[in-house]
Amino acid sequence: MAILGRERQVDWEVVYEGANGLLDLYEKDPESKGMNAIIKGFRQFTDNLFAAIDEGRPVVWHNCGCSPELIRGLEDVQPMPIEVLTVLQDLLGDVKHTTDLIDGAEAHGVAPEVCSIDKAAIGAVLKDLYPQPACMLYHNTPCDSQIAAIKAMTELTGKPMRLMDIPYLSGDREVKYLAKQLREAIPFLEEHTGKRFDWEKFREVCEESNRTGEYLRDWNELRRHKPCPQVSKMVALNTALLVAFSGDPEGTAIAKGFRDEAKERIERGESSVEGGELYRAVWYQDPVWWDLQFYDWMESELKLVIPMDLFGYYASEAFIDTSTPESMLEGLARKDLRVLPMSRQFKGPIDSFIDDYLRLCKDYQADFGIFAGHVACKHGLGGIGLFREASREAGIPLLYFEFDMFDPRVTPVETIQDHITHFVEDVVRPRKEAA
Amino acid sequence: MGKNELLKTFQEVIQKPRNAYLDDWIKSGNKVMGYYCSYIPEELFTAAGFLPYRIRGAGSRDSSEGDAYMSARLCTFVRQTMSLALRGEMNFLDGVVLAQNCDHIRRAGDLFEKKVKLPFYSFISIPRAPKERLFDWYLAELKRLKGEIEGHFGLAITDQKLNESIALHNSTRERIRKLYELRKKDAPPITGEEALTVTTAAHLMPRQEFNALMDELLGHLRDAKGTGDYRARVIITGGELDNPEFLAGIEQQGALSVAEVVCFGQRSFGDPIPDAAGDPLERIARHRFFQVPCARMVECFDDQVATLKNTVREFKADGIIFQRMKFCDPWAGDAHNLHWRMREEGIPFLALDREYQVPASGQVKTRVQAFLEKIGK
Repeated sequence: MAILGRERQVDWEVVYEGANGLLDLYEKDPESKGMNAIIKGFRQFTDNLFAAIDEGRPVVWHNCGCSPELIRGLEDVQPMPIEVLTVLQDLLGDVKHTTDLIDGAEAHGVAPEVCSIDKAAIGAVLKDLYPQPACMLYHNTPCDSQIAAIKAMTELTGKPMRLMDIPYLSGDREVKYLAKQLREAIPFLEEHTGKRFDWEKFREVCEESNRTGEYLRDWNELRRHKPCPQVSKMVALNTALLVAFSGDPEGTAIAKGFRDEAKERIERGESSVEGGELYRAVWYQDPVWWDLQFYDWMESELKLVIPMDLFGYYASEAFIDTSTPESMLEGLARKDLRVLPMSRQFKGPIDSFIDDYLRLCKDYQADFGIFAGHVACKHGLGGIGLFREASREAGIPLLYFEFDMFDPRVTPVETIQDHITHFVEDVVRPRKEAA
Repeated sequence: MGKNELLKTFQEVIQKPRNAYLDDWIKSGNKVMGYYCSYIPEELFTAAGFLPYRIRGAGSRDSSEGDAYMSARLCTFVRQTMSLALRGEMNFLDGVVLAQNCDHIRRAGDLFEKKVKLPFYSFISIPRAPKERLFDWYLAELKRLKGEIEGHFGLAITDQKLNESIALHNSTRERIRKLYELRKKDAPPITGEEALTVTTAAHLMPRQEFNALMDELLGHLRDAKGTGDYRARVIITGGELDNPEFLAGIEQQGALSVAEVVCFGQRSFGDPIPDAAGDPLERIARHRFFQVPCARMVECFDDQVATLKNTVREFKADGIIFQRMKFCDPWAGDAHNLHWRMREEGIPFLALDREYQVPASGQVKTRVQAFLEKIGK
């Protein structure tokens, strides 16, 4: 199979085939507007990336804590999140390719406890699956595993790297601190890409980012509806959207697809759970991205729906004031600090992590919470005791288990299914019946 | 005191959370401030009249209290220190200052604030790259911390006190430098296990008394015969290491540690703070911010490598043994990068994972033996 008329490495072709296969199956299905939009978006991202390679346009790598608007302010530069292949492979392709990359990184000396997405990204670099970057722009969020990854990426590529220091808190002082760093990063990006930063283009990018945000805000509201109008597996895809498509019209198209589908299904009185939902849970920390059918199983077998999760939550501080260059930089800084999932919740005191959870449980009328602890997210796992106490105080039953969001070998799907089934049967159902 | 007696004294200092010198300090009505990291300058605490006390987990039987609040995916260093704190065994501290050194310590901060509840708690945000463009932020954070300490305890940290504190800590640095100089000899008069015991003790007792003991020790070591009975000289590097027994296990295999480029070892001290005019807090901040970087720092890996290469050369080392706490991500990244860099440089390199307070296991000993054989020693 070829992408854009050229043979690509198998890993990418599997992803591309996966996207095409899913679109062949569901493109004409009016019930799949949201999923279709993001799958098309992913395919478009792949097309854009390969077009940039073929046309010799610079590619700038960034990480998932770094929203790409600033990079998009450069003429003819393609941003690429270092996590992209892992996410696409798990969601659309074949997870076997991800686990091969993980194994490759470990064989090269990366410690097993580094996050699987970072190990797979390092594996991808070792296997030469990524286009060489002109330079790299990273943020030191959401976790230390990213620090390990970005240092390894710098060593392996030898390319220039710039770190945006993300401070502990997210107040106005911190916003100005980050905005200053973003401004200072512009000459770095211009120097290494050989492209000019265009403030007018940056303004358009920020306006596009705002348009995407408006749809996402509406979509977050619509998913509060009871019964939940949309399937559980869609919600976490918001993070992939934000990291890969912020400031891109494709991102707005995806967000609109999410919003429209939810709106139409509410208007038609449809529930995501055939036969009606019995239980609602807020899924917290990381999603199961190596098996999206797992979410179908929850809905069909347990009548359990996830109306919102940590990856899906779109905080309302995201809107960028585009009136001046300074306001745009501060707006982007505010988005980086206060909106990007994980970065928002994990970089500071545990309170922001817990408070968001409790608010989501209330807003989305959750019967219980599921703390799906991705084994590498030490910042979340390090707060589990306080998290449990807060849940107990709020009277929200909490299921906690550990797994790996990109590597099914750590905790098999059957084990996760058992955890959830037992919890629903032994804790949630009796509690609901008693109420 | 003789050499052995002095070393025994230092050993006693590091065995448990409290020691006789600390107890005397507290009995005299003085205050103690806890901290975790080399990027939090102890000079500031000394200038406030406190004893800077670097938090560690020695004396913790296990990590059970820490485990109640933290997943086993967090390092045992943090879980054991939190166990001590949650058991009340750190209640002698008048406060703690934490920073986002790593994901694990950030969460320790939450527990200190919400569960341990010492009289004073502060948290500073330390930039993740030692670059001039970020220095102002770090300095501002230290100024904020200074203001918080002054406000809470009703005292003034004057420039004079800061200068006196710099002088005191520089005098410790001078003694540590002399200790390390002696270790460059072909027959170093002190083992790595002993040296780490000494440098760890410096973090847990009043500096004046530490310096006095050091003067005595240096007097004994200066003309001591030393030990030439080793198979290879190694530099120990990696994450924090305050467990001399771990080094003992390595040295028993014939790998003599001649320098420990770790926190609690050389990295905690560095060069003296230059004697210059101007804001003493800024001089302290510059010294700390641009010190030998730890793995949490980015955009400075070449500096880390250069420091290690220089140390290997100066101490005539045959190789490097790198150690890190299991689950430490920043050092996991550096372990990978150092492995390949050292291979390029032709410097033998062994990377070991360890758990806190666990002496070198049979597996570690076997790996050290194999390493020595591999480098022909």
